[in-house]
Amino acid sequence: MEFEESGIGEECGVFGCVAAGEWPTQLEVAQVLTLGLVALQHRGQESAGVVTSNGASPPTYTSHKGMGLVSSAFPPEALLKLRYGNLGICHTRYSTTGISELQNCQPFVVDTLHGKIAVAHNGELVNARALRKKVMRHGVGLSTGSDSELITQLLALTPPMEELDTPDWVARIKNLMTETPTSYSLLIMFKDVVYAVRDPYGNRPLCIGRLVPISKLHSTGAEEEDTEGWVVSSESCSFQSIGAKYYREVLPGEIVQISKHGVQSLTIVPRPEGDPPAFCIFEYVYFARPDSIFEGQMVYTVRQRCGQQLAIEAPTDADVVSTVPESATPAALGYAHQSGLPYTEVLCKNRYVGRTFIQPNTRLRQLGVAKKFGVLTDNFAGKRVVLIDDSIVRGNTISPIIKLLREAGATEVHIRVASPPIKFPCYMGINIPTKEELIANKPEFKDIAGYIGADSVEYLTVEGLVSAVQEGIASLNKDKISSGSVSGKMVGHCTACLTGKYPVELEW
Amino acid sequence: MSNSEDPKVTTTPHIVKEELLVEGKWVKLEKTTYVDQAGNTRVWETAKRTTRRSNTEADGVGIIALLKRTLHKDCVVMVKQFRPPLGSFTLEFPAGLIDKGETAEAAALRELKEETGYKGEVVGVTPVTCLDPGLSNSTTHTVLVNINGDDVENIHPVQQLGDPEFVEVILLPLDGFQAKIDDLLRREKIVADAKVYIFAMGMAQAFFKPRELPVLKQ
Repeated sequence: MEFEESGIGEECGVFGCVAAGEWPTQLEVAQVLTLGLVALQHRGQESAGVVTSNGASPPTYTSHKGMGLVSSAFPPEALLKLRYGNLGICHTRYSTTGISELQNCQPFVVDTLHGKIAVAHNGELVNARALRKKVMRHGVGLSTGSDSELITQLLALTPPMEELDTPDWVARIKNLMTETPTSYSLLIMFKDVVYAVRDPYGNRPLCIGRLVPISKLHSTGAEEEDTEGWVVSSESCSFQSIGAKYYREVLPGEIVQISKHGVQSLTIVPRPEGDPPAFCIFEYVYFARPDSIFEGQMVYTVRQRCGQQLAIEAPTDADVVSTVPESATPAALGYAHQSGLPYTEVLCKNRYVGRTFIQPNTRLRQLGVAKKFGVLTDNFAGKRVVLIDDSIVRGNTISPIIKLLREAGATEVHIRVASPPIKFPCYMGINIPTKEELIANKPEFKDIAGYIGADSVEYLTVEGLVSAVQEGIASLNKDKISSGSVSGKMVGHCTACLTGKYPVELEW
Repeated sequence: MSNSEDPKVTTTPHIVKEELLVEGKWVKLEKTTYVDQAGNTRVWETAKRTTRRSNTEADGVGIIALLKRTLHKDCVVMVKQFRPPLGSFTLEFPAGLIDKGETAEAAALRELKEETGYKGEVVGVTPVTCLDPGLSNSTTHTVLVNINGDDVENIHPVQQLGDPEFVEVILLPLDGFQAKIDDLLRREKIVADAKVYIFAMGMAQAFFKPRELPVLKQ
């Protein structure tokens, strides 16, 4: 819960759609795009942007960007404007503490030698600073501080072997990928095609879905000729709500071309010899929606396994197991199942109370938390409670909850955290508080239980988390098509914020 | 209107006599004697269908069917066929004659299924309307139909055409309907049925032009 409270955020979601068959299409591409964004709303609420193309030669791009949630940023007039799109990409942006910057909203559209491209980016370039200097040395001026603009400019650079009138997008994208190792899941729209790109470490997620007639969504009868279009998304949770069947993941290092003719893998850029992939483990722990699928497994199931693993590592002598609603619930259910203790609800969440981190001081923040939750006293009065939370980052939000529970009659409150403590910053797109603010780096951490007022506090170990995540990944290797070589081990997760081991050498 | 010379001369026009001139299998030609508003007896050449039953007012039905699919633009279902009287292909709404004992609604759903393969639901019926009253007495009901495109039956519809029938189904989105018809007319040697084109113009007016005072429009 504290991820939500403290404003740690995933910087964005990307989504794209290409209509299959004849163009102009009868598919409502603009509606599919906005519905896709709504499903990815949890990845960003500050602003949303859509760019559609009519796919003609030369193409007409139409874009709409708005602040706030998709429902307010996209009034009917916007959809009216976008209705001639045969394909499009879009983006939800995470809240920053800066001023509202509509011009910085993605997707970015730039003119290149061969025409306009639109780019939507999820992630953060680890070598952004060095790259900016390099790009500016080439004579390119940058107007924002964003990585995504940098990516767009890098794509606009002409690769050495390219012919005058034929754009070689694979070469341009490969060029980008050699300039920066991670992290980026990208959607690049050019004329009548969307390129889906995932960095060689696969740090941020990206997967493809196939739009089929609604009545065939759940049957196995959806033939190839039923394909109405293709969608690509940061998370698969968007597919169900738009009538798309999960197709496959974009592999780490892969460049996929999505056109009206279908999905084609163009190449897979390998990692340096021996390096394993580094999929952000926090997508499993917190950021992704529980119904999304990564590496063949459902996020909810992984969280449940984390709870089970936590019960094995840190059992408790107690009466009931409960959760801090709602993100910790799968873990709490896993813990209860493993430990044999009954699961009950002890807190009632007021979902209309927003983030508390915007309150000016600790005391007010604690009061804010008190308003966010009510207690279900009957369920736990006179009992020893094990409370599962998905994180303790600063320790500010869990202590008032513990106080609430004790005042309502809990005899003991034990905290079990379904993730390891965060100790290090992330440079790949997760906005973590500074090292000093993290509770795990403070001297108080030695007696964290005393600090937050709990009877005991235990975190899941890194090994425990990794095993809970990797247990469900069936032999991925067998199913994947590779057009190029795929180096290193096929399974790997980035745990840099937990262990300090970054997947790549960080440049300064 | 001044008619000061003869104030008593305003007759209700009416038919006096209908004489059969020629009868074919499907169509007949009659000489219609009638009295006009001025009281004069006149003659008109009238074409009629031989299939019209005495107790019915309408010869046939025309169908305005909207194919509705989730996350797709609503499309109007039309048919393209060769029409010997014109010597050319036409773009029309599906249509057909009402069989014995059939209601207009039933005829509409049946004709739609036969000509296009779609299974629809009636959402409205117009009153009896005339088709070409200077030439013929033929009348029609236009039946408004919605087709649930998500229904499995309507995903790959199969026509049930009679032996000499050659009908091509044409789907065009309601969004930009008139423009798309114009494109089609430019590309192919095809004549649009008046009802189709007027419907398209009406839709264009309704959808995208806000109600504005003509006086204020620059």
